[in-house]
Amino acid sequence: MLSEKIKQNLKNIISKYEKKESAIISILHEIQKEKNYIEDSDISELAKLTELPYSKIKAVLTFYTMFNSKKVGKYHIQICRNISCHMAGAKKIEKYISEKLGIREGEVTKDLLFSYSTVECLGSCGTAPVIMINETYYENVDEKKIDEIIEKLKVAK
Amino acid sequence: MPKVIIDGKEFIAKENETVLNVAERNGIYIPRYCYHPALSIAGNCRMCLVEIEKMPKLQIACATTVTDGMVIHTQTEKVKKARQDVLEFLLLNHPLDCPICDQVGECYLQDYYMEYGLKKSRIDLKDKNRKPKRRDIGKHLILDNERCILCTRCVRFCEEVTKTSELFINSRGDHSFIDIKTEEKLDNDYSLNIADICPVGAFTSKDFRFKERVYRLSSTSSICLSCATGCKIKVQHNNGKIYRILPDPNIYTNTWICDNGRMSYKITAGPDRLTKSIIKSEEHHLNKAIIKLFDILKEAKEKNLKIAILLSDYLSIEDNFALYYLGFEILKTDLIYASKEKEQKIEDGILINKDKTPNSNAVSQISKLYGIKKYEDLKDCDLLIGFYDDIEKLNIPKNKSVALSYKADKEYDNLIAIKTYFETEGSFINWQYFLRKTAPSVSAPTDTISVYDLCLKISELFGYYPKEKELNKIFNELKYKTED
Amino acid sequence: MNILLNDNFDLKTYITNGGYNALKKSFTLKPEEIIEEVKKSGLRGRGGAGFPTGLKWSFIPKTKTQKYIVCNSDESEPGTFKDREIIHKNPHSIIEGMIIAGYAIGATKGYFYIRGEFAREARIIEKSIYEAKEAGYLGKNILKSGFDFDITVVRGAGAYICGEETALLESIEGKQGKPRIKPPFPAVKGLYGCPTVINNVETLASVPYIVIYGGENYSKIGVEKSSGTKLFSVSGPVKKPGVYEIPLGLSFKTFFYDWLGGMKEGEELKAVIPGGSSVPVITAEEAMNTKLDYESLQKIGTMLGSGGMIIIPKSQCMVELLYVLARFYHHESCGQCTPCREGSGWIEKTLNKILNYKAKKQDLDLIVDISNNMMGRTICPLADALAMPVISFVQKFREEFESHIEGNCKICGK
Repeated sequence: MLSEKIKQNLKNIISKYEKKESAIISILHEIQKEKNYIEDSDISELAKLTELPYSKIKAVLTFYTMFNSKKVGKYHIQICRNISCHMAGAKKIEKYISEKLGIREGEVTKDLLFSYSTVECLGSCGTAPVIMINETYYENVDEKKIDEIIEKLKVAK
Repeated sequence: MPKVIIDGKEFIAKENETVLNVAERNGIYIPRYCYHPALSIAGNCRMCLVEIEKMPKLQIACATTVTDGMVIHTQTEKVKKARQDVLEFLLLNHPLDCPICDQVGECYLQDYYMEYGLKKSRIDLKDKNRKPKRRDIGKHLILDNERCILCTRCVRFCEEVTKTSELFINSRGDHSFIDIKTEEKLDNDYSLNIADICPVGAFTSKDFRFKERVYRLSSTSSICLSCATGCKIKVQHNNGKIYRILPDPNIYTNTWICDNGRMSYKITAGPDRLTKSIIKSEEHHLNKAIIKLFDILKEAKEKNLKIAILLSDYLSIEDNFALYYLGFEILKTDLIYASKEKEQKIEDGILINKDKTPNSNAVSQISKLYGIKKYEDLKDCDLLIGFYDDIEKLNIPKNKSVALSYKADKEYDNLIAIKTYFETEGSFINWQYFLRKTAPSVSAPTDTISVYDLCLKISELFGYYPKEKELNKIFNELKYKTED
Repeated sequence: MNILLNDNFDLKTYITNGGYNALKKSFTLKPEEIIEEVKKSGLRGRGGAGFPTGLKWSFIPKTKTQKYIVCNSDESEPGTFKDREIIHKNPHSIIEGMIIAGYAIGATKGYFYIRGEFAREARIIEKSIYEAKEAGYLGKNILKSGFDFDITVVRGAGAYICGEETALLESIEGKQGKPRIKPPFPAVKGLYGCPTVINNVETLASVPYIVIYGGENYSKIGVEKSSGTKLFSVSGPVKKPGVYEIPLGLSFKTFFYDWLGGMKEGEELKAVIPGGSSVPVITAEEAMNTKLDYESLQKIGTMLGSGGMIIIPKSQCMVELLYVLARFYHHESCGQCTPCREGSGWIEKTLNKILNYKAKKQDLDLIVDISNNMMGRTICPLADALAMPVISFVQKFREEFESHIEGNCKICGK
């Protein structure tokens, strides 16, 4: 279900673009920001409201990896697994996060706060290992830093 | 007009023509999957790679526009190796479904493999990508994602031809697959064309599935009679049974054919088919039925009863004129009726015509030439002979009718079992005024008869022996076009 | 000397340091003159392809149609993190460069395509655009020149392939990022079918300097066929990883020891990927004997690429590293054309076997064969970007691969 806020904002977002279709990625970002993932019913609703084919919107949703089709944790940790982060110990970081939170890739913690996935190069290789939580970068992470970050997030509003 | 050289021979190309089209026009076949003459160019299969001088990399023929002086090679070692390698990539994750796949005999993978491939597989079976199989995605189609080579012909068809955009590619890379909205059905009026254009066995027809091997089918060119568009078709059959209809693409009328027309062959068989005539609610063999019908007509004539004849937009020129002759010359009735003129146009922007009958343009001409009354003028009669569908539409009392029919119907006292146009010849004039003929693909049930022969036999029983010339003179009087 | 990495965080600082003077000067020149200067400068595309920028601009037809300038800020090439640095340090240099480029080719609209993960950087650019607009450097009749120009920021959503020019255009248009068949090239038929120039962040940020000081002066920096400065983003176990602006032609040896401080304690140099994961790897020896410019690197069989330099130590197994790379390209393949779609998965699977000591003897030649069969036969160079590392890794470090096939690896500890 799309929220009223999103539905009202649609015209606004679409007006930024030269063609209606070009607004799709931006709209999907908005939906995800609000409810942290995008359901199939959201796509159907969006198709009706924008009068764009469902197939075109769904094709975009499934092509770009930043979009979540399944519910993720309130804080979705994305661990870079590419070459420089790998050399800097990304696998150890992943193992640590997995054991600390008691979940595997794709799973969500029982309190619905955390989930993680491994992602490709985040474009900050000089400060490897790098993780991204929702849309915030955390660079030069080690086990101690991860402890701090997770503790902070647990008590955050 | 650019001049090009392909494999050492010089050809003259049209402006903005692609290498693939110039080659094909001149008898040089370049293998391809994603290219289709009626769809936009995708260029993703990479099978049509050719060598072009002055270009370092191989180029895809389907998307390369020719320039004057271009020199193209389609048979060099480099090109042959490229085809082999592309085939290897295509077959890499392809399932070994041939024994159960309907595409056998018309599969581009099989055909090209035999011609250009012949490499042994270098991947373990267990390492092949698995994807959903046997997906029921519509009234007529089953989708097998594993067999799919992602040529996107189907996606482009739904976007460009039917403009319904049901299909899309889900995900990316080698995990991508053709998909449709869950619970949505691919049931636009042209869905079965997708099974035609799918070069592999990814999209298969539910109707044709597992019924017959393609290489055992014979093909007969004919025309579809489901509407006034009159698409040219290929009727495919084996051993007296029709298995499927394919479009016969041509520049005049149709590239495709609608699903309705594709299924029209079903009138030939099935529990509904009328195989014996019914006279006065009793079933009879053909000869007895004809004699009994003759008796009814003779009695009616003697008693000066009103006998009406309906000409039909569903029947051929031959059949219609024979009916007219029977009524006018033999039964001496002037109660002959035909349909009024109908509006003809393509109503969906593709093929389906507003006029759902195949022969309006012939019958309306006959009507004008012979001063025939309109259906609306029919008031009262004691006995009526006409085609089943017309009688049903006009709500004529069934006990007064003699219906010429393919379909059995218990409500009628008198039904004459006639041949369908899959079983006999018939001439029709379509909405473009092309005169075309159906051709028989299979034999009709023994006790059926064509309307033309029925009229002839009745005439003979009345003592008249019309010459063929007499019954065919109508062709000299009608206006129509023929293909160049 | 820094052309790009100057600390001009906001508009005020940028202007104090001479910002937007290039734009003012541009309006006193004719568009053709600006293109001439850029041609003279020898500036080459800094995203990875190294195509001469002035030449690219000159391909735009002189007709009065809608045209676009697009800034490629997709920066997803592994090892590359230099554009981000410019956005943090000197965002207005990119915007000024874009406006000048727009003026030079006759485009009234610019799109700033930025990878989705750079949410913070997108906000910086949005802010900078707002600042520039308020100050009259964007919008209608800029500085009373009669030239209109506006920039829209478009975010990506996680697809490396959208760094390819035509895939980027597809993404702006709201579709899956699948590269288009070329020809037609973007200069003829680009965004929404209109003539379009797509330039990398660093390329555009170099433009203001060229306009102020002239193309010839820019060409005096660096070496003959590789003029100007280039950002190198260095990662791996060196003492001082980070982004550096070097004059092209600098020797690797000097760069490595004087700028990067050499390897970290306990590590020894084994190999270098000089310009982002898509370029062939070179050995430590080859690196020490080469200079950092387009021609020198091409001569030894690799490329300058994006300048995303990855330093590989002896403590890193090359088989493992190649597997990580193959996994990346497989993940990022758009899936459109057959060789890349199927080949990338095949290579990853086979490398996984080699890595885990489950491979057969012929698997090593197999991955090289697959790579050769992919190269040059696809719609875009992603297939080549996978094929070249595979071929170079196996060529230069064959013993490590053979060791894995035999069932052991000193580095991995088996």
